[in-house]
Amino acid sequence: MGMIILFSISTMPGHSQEARAIILKSIEAGKFDGIETISKLNIIDQKGRVRTREIYMASKTFEDDVEKRLIIFMAPADIKGTGMLIYDHENKQDDMWMYLPALRKTRRIISSEKSKNFMGSEFTNADMAAANIDDFKYELLGDETVQGTDCWKIKSNSISDDITDEYGFFSQFLYIGKDDFTLRRSIYFDRENDTLKTLENNNIEQVDPGSKKYMARHMIMQNHQNGRKSEIIMEKITLNDQLDSDMFTTGFLERQ
Amino acid sequence: MVLFFLAQIPRAEIDADVTHYIPEKMTSRVNTERMEDLFGGNDMLILALETEDVLDPQTLRRIKDLSRGVKKIEGVSKTMSLFDLKSIKGVNGDMIVDPAVRKIPVSDSDKEYLRQELKNNKLVFKTVVSEDFTLTALIMIMDKGVDDNKLLHEINELLITYPGNERIYLGGYPYLKAIVSKEFTKNLRILLPGGLLIMLIMLYLFFRQKRGVFLPFSVVMMAIIFSMGILPLLGWKMSVITLILPIILIAVANDYGIHMIAKYQELVHSKDQQTDGKALARKVYENLRLPVIMTGMTTLVGILSLLSHKMIPAKQLGVLAAAGIFFALILSLFLIPALLSFLNKKAPVVHGDPSKLRWLEIQLRRFSKMVVSHPRRILVVSIIIVGLFGAGLGFLKVDTNVENFFPKSHDIRVGAKLINDKLGGSQTINVLVEGDIKDPALLKRVDRYQEALEQHKGVGDAMAITDVLLEMSKALNNIDDPGYNVIPDSRNAVAQYFELYAMSGDPEDFEQLVDFDYQHAQIMVRLKDGSNTNIKDVISFVRSMTAGDPNITIIGGYGYVTSELADVVVNGQMLSLLFAVLAIIILVMVLFRSITTGLISAMPLVSAIILLFGLMGILGIRLDLVTALLSSMMIGIGIDYTIHFLWRFIKERERTGDPREAIVLTLQTTGRGILFNALSVIIGFSILVLSSFPPIRFFGILIVISISVCLVGALMVVPSILLVFKPSIVTGKRTILKVPQWVINFGPKWAHYFKILKTKPELFKQSH
Repeated sequence: MGMIILFSISTMPGHSQEARAIILKSIEAGKFDGIETISKLNIIDQKGRVRTREIYMASKTFEDDVEKRLIIFMAPADIKGTGMLIYDHENKQDDMWMYLPALRKTRRIISSEKSKNFMGSEFTNADMAAANIDDFKYELLGDETVQGTDCWKIKSNSISDDITDEYGFFSQFLYIGKDDFTLRRSIYFDRENDTLKTLENNNIEQVDPGSKKYMARHMIMQNHQNGRKSEIIMEKITLNDQLDSDMFTTGFLERQ
Repeated sequence: MVLFFLAQIPRAEIDADVTHYIPEKMTSRVNTERMEDLFGGNDMLILALETEDVLDPQTLRRIKDLSRGVKKIEGVSKTMSLFDLKSIKGVNGDMIVDPAVRKIPVSDSDKEYLRQELKNNKLVFKTVVSEDFTLTALIMIMDKGVDDNKLLHEINELLITYPGNERIYLGGYPYLKAIVSKEFTKNLRILLPGGLLIMLIMLYLFFRQKRGVFLPFSVVMMAIIFSMGILPLLGWKMSVITLILPIILIAVANDYGIHMIAKYQELVHSKDQQTDGKALARKVYENLRLPVIMTGMTTLVGILSLLSHKMIPAKQLGVLAAAGIFFALILSLFLIPALLSFLNKKAPVVHGDPSKLRWLEIQLRRFSKMVVSHPRRILVVSIIIVGLFGAGLGFLKVDTNVENFFPKSHDIRVGAKLINDKLGGSQTINVLVEGDIKDPALLKRVDRYQEALEQHKGVGDAMAITDVLLEMSKALNNIDDPGYNVIPDSRNAVAQYFELYAMSGDPEDFEQLVDFDYQHAQIMVRLKDGSNTNIKDVISFVRSMTAGDPNITIIGGYGYVTSELADVVVNGQMLSLLFAVLAIIILVMVLFRSITTGLISAMPLVSAIILLFGLMGILGIRLDLVTALLSSMMIGIGIDYTIHFLWRFIKERERTGDPREAIVLTLQTTGRGILFNALSVIIGFSILVLSSFPPIRFFGILIVISISVCLVGALMVVPSILLVFKPSIVTGKRTILKVPQWVINFGPKWAHYFKILKTKPELFKQSH
C-alpha cells in the first residue's frame, strides 16, 4: 500500500481522493462508541500565567452518527459543577447547553461560530470534535516524519468563506500517522496564509487494542498570533460503551 | 567636528508621545504605564466611516473587509467594530451569542430588524455606531511601542484596497502622534530653509559684504548642526518643542557674529588705514571679546532657566539651545576673527542715496527728544497699557490637548469632533480596579461608578467588565426575573458567568477590561471633550465618587497625562520665569555693581511678561506646550537691549554730566545698534508664522511682540524711569560705576561706526 501511495504521489501529486480517504480513516480512528476522560486544561497567557481547569468528559456515539458529549468542571471551586452538553451533528449545526449551578439554570447556547474558543483556551470547539469532512478539500502533499513517526502530510482548504469564518481558519497542514491514522501535528493558517496556530499531539496511546483506536494523552495548542498557549493533559481514559444515554440530557446536567 | 555632529542628525527620531514629555515619576505616567502592563496598550486608534446609513450593504461590506484587514497589521492587538463586538441575547430560554452584525442584510426589512437589534445592544450602540446610524467606528487597540507612521501607512493602503464612498476620519491618540510627527518633518523642511534665507537677506542688507553675510551665517549653520547633532548623541528624541531649536539659533546665534562684523567694518574705516587684515582681526577680537561674552551670558542664563521646567522636552530644549548658543559664541569669538585674518581688508558696498541712510538717524533724534521731554507721560501711558493688558491675565487658559496643535479645519479636529459628539469620544482616562474582580460587592460598586460616569457630563462612554456581566444576565434571565440586568449576588455565579462567556466568546474579548488572573480590571472612560477643564472635572468626579473605596485608587490614561502635563506647564512656566528674571537681575546687578540698575533693568522684562500673558488672555491664545516656553526665552534675549542702553548711558552721563543729554546721545547712537539687534531677532523668529502648527505660529507672533515690548522698554521706559526717579546712577551722588573699560568702550564703537556712516558715506564705497 505504501508503494501505491508513493507511486501515486510521484505521478499525481496532490491526489485528493487518496487524501480524503486518509482523513476518513483518521476520523474513524478517533471515534469511540463510549469514552470517559478526566483531564486537566491549562490555559497559558503571553506572560506565562496559567489558569487550570479540571474536567470530566463523557462521550457516546448515537444513531445517525451524532456524538453527544457531557463536560463537567471539577475544579476550580468557583465553577465546580458547571456543566456542558454538546450534540455534535454530522451535517447540521451543533447543539450546546450549559448548566450554571449558581443559577440552577440550563441555557441552550446558540452561536454561529465553531471557531469559539473552548473554555477560553486556544482550542476551539471545532478542535474538540471531528470536522465535517465535506467542509474542506484535501490534498496529499507527501510524507514526513513527525515525532519519529512516518506521517502523511495533507493540506486541507476550506471550501467557502462562510466555512472559514465558522472554523476560524482557512487551511491546515495535517500530519497523520501512517500506521495508526492518528493526527500528530496540525498547523493552522488564516485567510492571508499566515500561520495561526500549531497543534501537537504527544504521547499517543492505543486505548482500545481490539478496534485499533488511538488517543493523545497530551495536546498542546500554540497560538502564534496572540502568543497564548493551551494544553490538555489526559489523566484518565476509560472506554465504556455502556454509558447511560440518560447522561446526555439536560435533565442529567441539572440533577448531578 | 562639525561633520561628526552632522552625521548624527539623521539618527534623531521624532517622539510625539506627550506621555514622554512629563517626568517618569509623575503619577499619571507611572499609572498609565502600569495599566498598559496589565491590560496591554490602552491607546485607541479610531477609524470612523461616515455615510447616510451605515447599514447599507456596501458600507457594511467595507467595514467587514477593513476590520479583517486591520487585524493583520502588526501592533493592532484588538479590534472593535460591528463585526467584532458581540451581541448576547436571550430568546425563548436560549442564549444566543453572535457578532453584533452576523450577516449583512439584503432586504430593507432585514436592515430595519438589524437596526432595532443594534439599538438594544449596549456593547455597540453609541460606541461603534452612532445614534443616527450615519457614523460607525472601527476601533483598534494598539500594542505598546507601535510605529505610528508605519501603522498609518498600512491603514491607508487598506483604505485603497477596499475603496468606498464613505467619508473616512481617523482619530485617537496614535493617529494624533503620527500626524504630529509627519507635520513636524514638513514644518522643519519649510521653516529651516526659510529662516536661513531670511537671515541671509537680512545680513546682506546690514553689511553689504560677502564676509559680513557668510561668516555669521556659517556660525549659525554650525551651531544648528552642533546642537541638532547632540540630540541623538544624548539619546534624546525630537519633540514638537525641539522644532523651535533651529529657529532660536537662527534668531539668536548670529547676534555675536553681527557685532564682530560691525566692529570689523567700523575698524576698516578708522583712521589707521595701514593695518593689514591680520591686525584688524586681532583688534576686533580684543575689543569685542568681553561684551560678546556678557550678552551671551544673559542669553544663556535665560535659556538655561528652562532647566527648572518639569516638562522634559523643555529641559532638553534648554540644554540644546544653550549648547548651540555657547558653540556660536565660541565660533564668533575665535573662528570669525581667525577667518577674517586671512582675508584682505575690504570695505562694504553701499548702494543708493546716502541721505536715505540718514533717515533713521533723524528719526532717532526726534525720538530721543520726545523721550526726554515727556518722561512722566511715557511712564503713565506705559503703566496704563501694562495695567490694561494685565487685566487679561485673568483670562489666560492652559490647554495641553495635542488635538489643538491643529487648526479647526484640519481633518483631525473635524474627525475628533464627530467622534466626540457621536461615538463616545476619542480621548480616554482609565480607572484601575484592584482586588478580587469576581467579588460581587466590588463589581456592583464598579457598575455604580460606571453608570454614574456615563451620566456625567463630559463623558461619552464608559466601558467595564460589568457591561459583559449585565448583558449576560439579560440573556440568562427573563425580563421579570430578579437576576435580570443585575450583577449576580454570589461569587460563584460571577465565575460561572465568565466561564459561560468563555465558552461562547473570544478569550481576548475582555483582555482589555480584566487581567488574566481576575485581580485587576479597569473602567475605560471615553471623553466627549479633550479639554483640560473637562478632563480635570471627570478625574475629580471619579476621585470623589470612589473616595474611601480601597479597591480604586489609581487613575491613568492619556487624558490624565494631558491634564497633569497642563499643571506641569503652568508650574514650569512660573518657576522658570521666576528663575530667569531673578538670575538675570542678579547678573545685571553684578555686572553694573549696582542694585538699582538691576531693578531698573527688570522693568521692561516684567512689563513684557505682563503684556505677553495679558495679550494671550485677551486674544484667547492658550498657554500650551509651546507657548509655555516663551517667557524665559524672551527674557534671556530681551534683557540685552536694556544692558546696551545702560552701558552707554552711564558713559555719556559721566562725560556730559547731564542725564538728559546722555539719554539723547545714547538713543541716537547705541539706540541704532539696539534696533539692529532686536530686528535680527524679530525677523528670525517671524518665520515661525509659516508653521502649520497654530501653537508654533502663535509662538512666532508672541515672541515678536514681546521682543518689541522689551525694545520699547529699553528705549522709552528705562530712560523715563531714569529721568523721573533719578536713581543714583543719574544723580551721580554715589560712584557705583566701576565698569571695566571694555564695557564702556562697547557703545562708542557702535556710535563711531554710525558717525562715520553718517558723515563720510564715501568711505563705504568699495575700494578696488
